[in-house]
Amino acid sequence: MTSTNLKGAITGWFAAGITAVLLTACGGDDAESGSAAAQMASHDNTEEVETYYAEHPDFFSFKTIADLPLELNWQNGAGLPEMGSPEAKKGGTEYRALQDFPRTLRTIGPDSNGGFRQFLLDDVAMRLAWRHQDEFDFVPGLAEEWAIGEDGKTIYVRLDPRATYSDGVQVTSDDFLFTFWYYRSPYVTAPWYNNYYSTQYTNITRYDDLTFSITTAAAKPDADSKVLELVPIPQHFYKEVGEDFVDRYQWRAPPTTGAYRVREEDIKKGRSIALTRVKDWWARDKKHYRYRYNADRIHFAIIRDTEKIFEAFRRGDLDQSGLNLADYWYEKLPDSDPDVQAGYIHKSVFYNQRPRPNYGLWINTARPLLDNLDVRLGINYAINWQLVIDKFFRGDYSRLDSARHGFKGFAHPTIKAREFDIEKALEHFTRAGFTQRGPDGILVNEAGERLAFTLSSGYQTLKDVLTILKEEAAKAGLELRIEILDGTAGWKKVQEKQHDIHFSAFGVFLEMYPRFWEHYHSDNAYDDAFLEDGSINPDRQIKTQSNNLETFAVAEMDPLIGRYRAAADKQEMIELSRQMDQIHHDYASFVPGFYQGFYRIGHWRWLRYPEFFNHKHGATAGELFVHWIDPAMKEETLQARKKGESFAPAINVYDQWKD
Amino acid sequence: MFSFNPQTLKKLRRFREIKRGYYSFLFLAALLVILSFGELLVNSRALIVSYEGQLYFPTYTAFHAGTDFGLDYSYEVNYRELKAHFEREGQDNWILMPLVPYNAYENNSDGGVFKPLPPSVDKQHYLGTDTTSRDILARLFYGTRIALIFSLAFTAWVYLIGISVGCAMGYFGGIFDLVFQRVIEIWSNIPFLYMVIIVFSVIPSSLSVSARIGILLCIMVMFSWTGMTYNMRTETYKEKSRDYVAAARILGASDTRIIFRHILPNVLSTLITFMPFIVVSAISAITALDFLGFGLPPPTPSLGELLKQGTATLRTAPWIVSAAFTTLVVLLTVVTFIGEAVRESFDPKKFTVYR
Repeated sequence: MTSTNLKGAITGWFAAGITAVLLTACGGDDAESGSAAAQMASHDNTEEVETYYAEHPDFFSFKTIADLPLELNWQNGAGLPEMGSPEAKKGGTEYRALQDFPRTLRTIGPDSNGGFRQFLLDDVAMRLAWRHQDEFDFVPGLAEEWAIGEDGKTIYVRLDPRATYSDGVQVTSDDFLFTFWYYRSPYVTAPWYNNYYSTQYTNITRYDDLTFSITTAAAKPDADSKVLELVPIPQHFYKEVGEDFVDRYQWRAPPTTGAYRVREEDIKKGRSIALTRVKDWWARDKKHYRYRYNADRIHFAIIRDTEKIFEAFRRGDLDQSGLNLADYWYEKLPDSDPDVQAGYIHKSVFYNQRPRPNYGLWINTARPLLDNLDVRLGINYAINWQLVIDKFFRGDYSRLDSARHGFKGFAHPTIKAREFDIEKALEHFTRAGFTQRGPDGILVNEAGERLAFTLSSGYQTLKDVLTILKEEAAKAGLELRIEILDGTAGWKKVQEKQHDIHFSAFGVFLEMYPRFWEHYHSDNAYDDAFLEDGSINPDRQIKTQSNNLETFAVAEMDPLIGRYRAAADKQEMIELSRQMDQIHHDYASFVPGFYQGFYRIGHWRWLRYPEFFNHKHGATAGELFVHWIDPAMKEETLQARKKGESFAPAINVYDQWKD
Repeated sequence: MFSFNPQTLKKLRRFREIKRGYYSFLFLAALLVILSFGELLVNSRALIVSYEGQLYFPTYTAFHAGTDFGLDYSYEVNYRELKAHFEREGQDNWILMPLVPYNAYENNSDGGVFKPLPPSVDKQHYLGTDTTSRDILARLFYGTRIALIFSLAFTAWVYLIGISVGCAMGYFGGIFDLVFQRVIEIWSNIPFLYMVIIVFSVIPSSLSVSARIGILLCIMVMFSWTGMTYNMRTETYKEKSRDYVAAARILGASDTRIIFRHILPNVLSTLITFMPFIVVSAISAITALDFLGFGLPPPTPSLGELLKQGTATLRTAPWIVSAAFTTLVVLLTVVTFIGEAVRESFDPKKFTVYR
């Protein structure tokens, strides 16, 4: 999880409201920049790229196919089960909505981390291989087969000779070499990418047009994922990358290896955008892909207001709508709704399994009073998450046990989050010196300090949750002052470590093991946190701009993290991870919140899902594109609705993967 | 002895004659009085508790822990439950609760989930509850109180600054007037809403709710006083060139005396007529800001926040939006009626009618 990605996650949906306001104001500029890009002078970076390769011979190696090690154990994951359903029909147009018109079609650089990026890159563009969404192992994408080298960190790849971009150009090893130049170049104005592609990989070797190897920085049990999840950058399209990259590529739709592309004529700025299925897509008959990406066209209307999006869905203008929030599921589209009872709209709940976003309260232990373990323990007992889960989320969500919930094996098996308990909270607060209640019921210590902290958050939609926590915490004599910020401001605040207690979550990807260094290493809490002898450095300065939101610096944690990062053995990592989980739990600097163990949607009956609905690890219903549109059924449903005929209602619960 | 001059008395008489405005004024005055003693009417704390022969009046005092009344918890006693508890025990202990026994913050779900409940006399949620089961009447009541206090404070400040600057511009004229006019022109072109958004994103959060309301007030005043200066400036210019000012000056009156004794009383009548409309705009502005999420910090009760909730639950909980909407309409209409009446009664041409 990276700062960029988290930022995307936070700003993505929570700042949408504000950006909507700002966007309308800036509409005029956007319209002009598109035509400006077309008029730019041509530019060719081929020579610059060649020079760069030559200047970095350690990183970019050129060998012949004869140099390829012979003893490689090639694998291709082709034996893994099919994904999607053979019943799926191709064709039709799917209607969706976006809250915010994409501010660029680039997938890197300023403004690129918006809600539309997933349709350009993450969910659509082919990777070398994908994790099978039931089995976790890799199924081939652009790669025909791959092999892990003896050192455990070099991955050899053979590309599928059929793999082509949507403009007909074949995908070659050169595109992957170029990928590294691209991500490391200053032109893309993305420091995080510059750093990641310079430090996480140490070499790429070209053997021939379709064969290459990439070496990662460390031998880890999931080193293969670092390579196999790469997406190539088409060199022929990006040969004009230079100083003006940001403007030049602002509105140019790149050729894609995936099933959907954006056609220039479908970009209607501020109003709508569409994805069109690539004609004769190279992977259309490939196993694992042939039953997915079914609709011919996906049309996105821009609707700024969430309520309006829902109303558009109820009218039938949109094919499906998320119903994760309780009031949507129970009140706005109840099972008794006429459209549901008549079988026009189906409701589906799907229980998935994946690492959960760690919603909870991140306590900044560098703040006065919060550096006291008893205060933190008291806070842990004074936060009534269970009430929020039972009454606000209506018992649908579950309590998170630690920040690593959902990482099977890696999370400590017996650690449970502390339950709301006023007596225990008071006991700990007493030990911390807070013995008396003031006139308003809030505890005070002998120095007259009130037990009051600011509870901030960037989640405007969840502000009621904080209000509930505040009311409950007051019973234990703890005052929480609520501060709701917009997404960007909230993120800025925690990055500058200006918070007392912050309610937030880091987006967690589908990966093998949790990360510790970012959040719990003292290097990310302070500059020189400890002296030589292991004691606390009195002059240490708080480190800003890191993801260690708890300012967590525990001397015994650092070496464990070091060993964890260096470990190549999965079992060793599991043991270390559990050990660190325990330390983190004992330190009580995080109040684990809740997780949603499912997703649920409402969809018109012509938008169909497979028998089993979806695959185990998916985070949302749409991201794997296993659904399809049935135009005949759409016609039938609309007719039936006019005539008042009805179908069998369908309210389905898919709990085959329930925890 | 303070006494009105006959002119003013005449105006006041005329104001009383305009029934619509006069009754609106009485209504608003009564509302303000009721609101200022709101804790006695809408509150989760009891008015009187009689426990073991002793009387308690918890409304304005420090909190009472549950243990004070024989319950087993150390946090603030829930008086509604205490009342039920006393009734079950059947001893001499009794409790008198306010008319609406809820405060604006507590989530009272009656054992169920937090969701909007329709109005119910049984549960004493006379206007129902909002999306997290808070009593709407309590939130409206305290929301209105904050909005009114806010708008009155806003009006006072806008007048103070607007009159001082405008009067100075008109009276001193020349370079001072020229420079200040330009400053005001530039200043009034700064988009107010964006400024609020920007300032609110940088102010420190450790401030208390009332401090943050104060900051919001300051920002709004900062961007609103300019309108008043234009009227004040022209009025002062006009009065300044009248003979009686020249006469005063010849008699040796100082600038201060001329401004405060001669000019101000003569221009005030025009300014008074704007006042209610400024109150209206302040109420609308604070409501709009809350609606957009840039106003009072949560969980402060506010009309705008209720309106926002209401528009999101139009189908499922229409009582939220209707309560907030009705309150806002009544409030704004009443103030506007007063404004019309004030304006008409201050109008020297008696037989024109305000349209």
